[in-house]
Amino acid sequence: MTRRILPLVIFFVLMGFLAQSLFDSDSELPSPLIGKSIPQFTLQNLITEEMYSNEEIIGEISLINVWATWCVGCEIEHEFLVELSQDENLDIPIIGLNWKDDDQLAKLWLNQLGDPYSIVLKDPEGKTAIDFGVYGAPETFLIDSNGIIRFKHIGPLDREIFERDILPVLGELN
Amino acid sequence: MFFTSGISANELDTNDQMRYQSLIQEVRCLVCQNQSVAESNAELAKDLRREIKLQIQDGKSDIEIKTYLLDRYGEFILYEPAFTQKTFFLWFSPIILLLMFYGWFRKIGN
Repeated sequence: MTRRILPLVIFFVLMGFLAQSLFDSDSELPSPLIGKSIPQFTLQNLITEEMYSNEEIIGEISLINVWATWCVGCEIEHEFLVELSQDENLDIPIIGLNWKDDDQLAKLWLNQLGDPYSIVLKDPEGKTAIDFGVYGAPETFLIDSNGIIRFKHIGPLDREIFERDILPVLGELN
Repeated sequence: MFFTSGISANELDTNDQMRYQSLIQEVRCLVCQNQSVAESNAELAKDLRREIKLQIQDGKSDIEIKTYLLDRYGEFILYEPAFTQKTFFLWFSPIILLLMFYGWFRKIGN
């Protein structure tokens, strides 16, 4: 009897595993860059056109936000980013990485929707984005004062995600 | 160096072109999950193809190029998972299952 039931049991266990991965909506991929320093780069400031290196943007706990005007999710999270940048209690600079975008459109976007960024660096070729392991905008990295990546969020950021995922990491850093 | 779309590999010699084709087949486009870079048109896929080609032209080995990708995107970027302790069962599960079924059918046969 058990011999006949065994394949059935194996079948259901397998089905269980498959069903689990099917409903496991948390398909976010872990970044191998967590715990590592931000990559080296020299990028141009979108507004002032000055060149900045990775060394020059580190020094305090900050967020690096990868965005583009062609990215729908970026539009969704933009209001929250503006809110975040105005939060005086938090006082955390947001560094924008404008990914494969058009300069004029990007400037227009910031003029019209508000500019939450302490600095916007542009990556027209997408080379730095690859170094950051970016695979879709928006993506947000939390870096510490030494420029070590502590957390990465893929997709639009909102208050709920910020409070659930980023605030605890910030607490550890402070 | 000038790349129009990053898709053509005309500037590479035959051997390098074969390496290029085989590398991009192995790399998974992360935007359009489960489409390899070779068949995907997403912007990131183009960028990755361009990067792979540049590195081939720079004389980088396949392993160096794969390490470059793994360092940034993790194991998920390659279709074929690396052989590690974590993926041991994945690699051997077909054989294990085959042996299990063999044993089972033999029992039933008797």
